[in-house]
Amino acid sequence: MSHFSTVKTELRQLDPLVQALNDLGYSPDQGERPVRGYRGQTVTADLAVSMDNGGDFGFRWNEKTGAYELVTDLDLWKQAIPIERFLSKLTQRYALNTVLKASVTEGFQVAEQQVKQDGSIELVVTRWDV
Amino acid sequence: MPQRTVRFTIRPDGRVEELVEGVSGEACQQLTERLEAALGTVERRESTAEAFHQPEVQSQSLPNHLH
Repeated sequence: MSHFSTVKTELRQLDPLVQALNDLGYSPDQGERPVRGYRGQTVTADLAVSMDNGGDFGFRWNEKTGAYELVTDLDLWKQAIPIERFLSKLTQRYALNTVLKASVTEGFQVAEQQVKQDGSIELVVTRWDV
Repeated sequence: MPQRTVRFTIRPDGRVEELVEGVSGEACQQLTERLEAALGTVERRESTAEAFHQPEVQSQSLPNHLH
């Protein structure tokens, strides 16, 4: 029986997260890194993107939720888009990369990939079973 | 040799909708499990038979001449 599922994406894995950041044009530093905020205060993150004039952002592993969380000083947010939109874009990219990778690993091929008018990405993968 | 097809819609907020078409097969189940482990919590799961169930249309015709 075929089925339909909806998954709320969480940033659970490091590699696709790094790749998603790369896709959006950032080069994150991996390993324990300081994220600079107001007046040079820092917090430690597992992944950090440093900006030229402070206002860094990073991602920290949350043991409890089993996912990475964005850490940044909101007052110093310097990206072109608001933080909510930034997180959405990043999460969509993360989801796309994860779906593509998992599909290839399971022997599926991409038959179709297109961006719809509402910004959704539609992806069709197929596989011939013996 | 059956073809397995999985259709994904990745929403602008990162939500992933997955539709396994036809008979799912082992490969589709493995793909689904792998994705759910990597992505996150499954919010909803329903069988497509129900998802695409067309509302039943009832029609009734009366004979033209009632006697």
